[in-house]
Amino acid sequence: MRPVLQDTQPWHVDHGYGDLCAACHAGDPTAAEMAPAHRGLRSPLLDPSRACAGCHPSDAWARAERYQAVQHRATRRSPPPAPPAPPHPAQPSTLANRILAALAVLFSIALYLTARSELRRWRSAPRDHAVPARARLRAWLGASQWSPYATGTMLGLVVGYSEVFCGRPLAASGAFDRLAAWPGRWLFPTSQYYRHVMSPGITWQVWLIVGVLGGAFASSRLAGEARLRWLPDREWTPRFGAKPVVRLALAFFGAVLVQLGAGIAGGCTSGLAISGGAALSPGAFVFMAGMFAGGIPTAWLWYRGPGG
Amino acid sequence: MFEIAKPLVLGFLFGWSLHKAGLTHYARIVGVYRLRDLTVMRFMLTALVVGAAVIQLGLDAGFTASATVPSTALLANLVGGVVFGVGMATAGYCPGTIVAEAGEGRLDAWLGGLPGLLVGAMAFGLLQPVIMPTLSRVGALGHVTLAGLLGASPWLVLLVLSQAVALTLLLVARVGR
Repeated sequence: MRPVLQDTQPWHVDHGYGDLCAACHAGDPTAAEMAPAHRGLRSPLLDPSRACAGCHPSDAWARAERYQAVQHRATRRSPPPAPPAPPHPAQPSTLANRILAALAVLFSIALYLTARSELRRWRSAPRDHAVPARARLRAWLGASQWSPYATGTMLGLVVGYSEVFCGRPLAASGAFDRLAAWPGRWLFPTSQYYRHVMSPGITWQVWLIVGVLGGAFASSRLAGEARLRWLPDREWTPRFGAKPVVRLALAFFGAVLVQLGAGIAGGCTSGLAISGGAALSPGAFVFMAGMFAGGIPTAWLWYRGPGG
Repeated sequence: MFEIAKPLVLGFLFGWSLHKAGLTHYARIVGVYRLRDLTVMRFMLTALVVGAAVIQLGLDAGFTASATVPSTALLANLVGGVVFGVGMATAGYCPGTIVAEAGEGRLDAWLGGLPGLLVGAMAFGLLQPVIMPTLSRVGALGHVTLAGLLGASPWLVLLVLSQAVALTLLLVARVGR
């Protein structure tokens, strides 16, 4: 349940389907500190021409008066409600905890059984200690690939740092919503979304993707893989041919769907699936299930028939 | 200046890990949907579990009062995931890897992927007032966590989650090693 939907203000209940806070209250939701985030805060009902007329140009004042009446009644009648008790106080011995503990024991046994052979293989793998450390470091940095568990651990630490010390999810798709708001505002001047929900800006996330550009360049450069090219290295050409225009068209079309899906779901692979999953959000796992439900049939369609 | 240093460094490490994980390859991304190459799954689930452990440690140590929990609206998360999966299996991209592929010098990412993301963002902008009021209302749980929803200890949820991830990864280890 969104907190605003439990609010005593009926406006919030009626409009609680979207994250519209800044559209009416102003301020900067992308700021990390309280002071810049609260800059320019205003009380929307005091100025309906600004807060309400964007969506309800013909009857902004009538609507605002209705909400104002309720607000007066609410403030007159009752003192501010006491902060509600946390909905799920940490109880060490709830039923859920006991079931989880039982699951953990079962999983430990299953893990031991499945991991035994892997461990034996890993222990018996040969290791080369004759190469000097410097050369080994150079080879390590210039490798074209590391173990997905090593890179996954690295990304996990980055995600954790970003959440704990920057207070933000490590998200790639949000930056494009911000960047697209410039042409969007200009192309669709009457759009509710661009007038009230999404404002353009060079935000934290835009700098993040600038960093991604640099990191991928550095890593591929050291591996000798950074070069201009039109086509994927493997599997594309046998299936789709060597014409760059076909690749461009499918790359464009796929990217449109990817960003649209990220908008609907509230994040992409990094922002929702990984960062959200790391914050233990149930939505992240539903999103991942959706990804497979959409991706598996699509990949099958592209690769069915001869040559697939 | 110092404000942008953090996202730049975090982004650099993010991009580095995407390339070193081999996620800048069309074949790798589509491979996960063809159930031939599960590198993406190994990478993502490892990052998820490690990230979750760091966040829980950060919360317990008091470095932060709360993590940013994305809002759960079951129908929107599911529908968005399906659209996302269709696009990802078509282009072999997700938003982060498009940027990483652009950094590698791939022109299809610069001229196809990046403009596609901007057009997709605008398409969402136009559709948002039409579809989101309905989509985001069904199964709207808000900013909850699995631990909060179950009324369980987050560390126990994390333990069972990481065990489930480890088991899944070990059991699928034979697919496209």
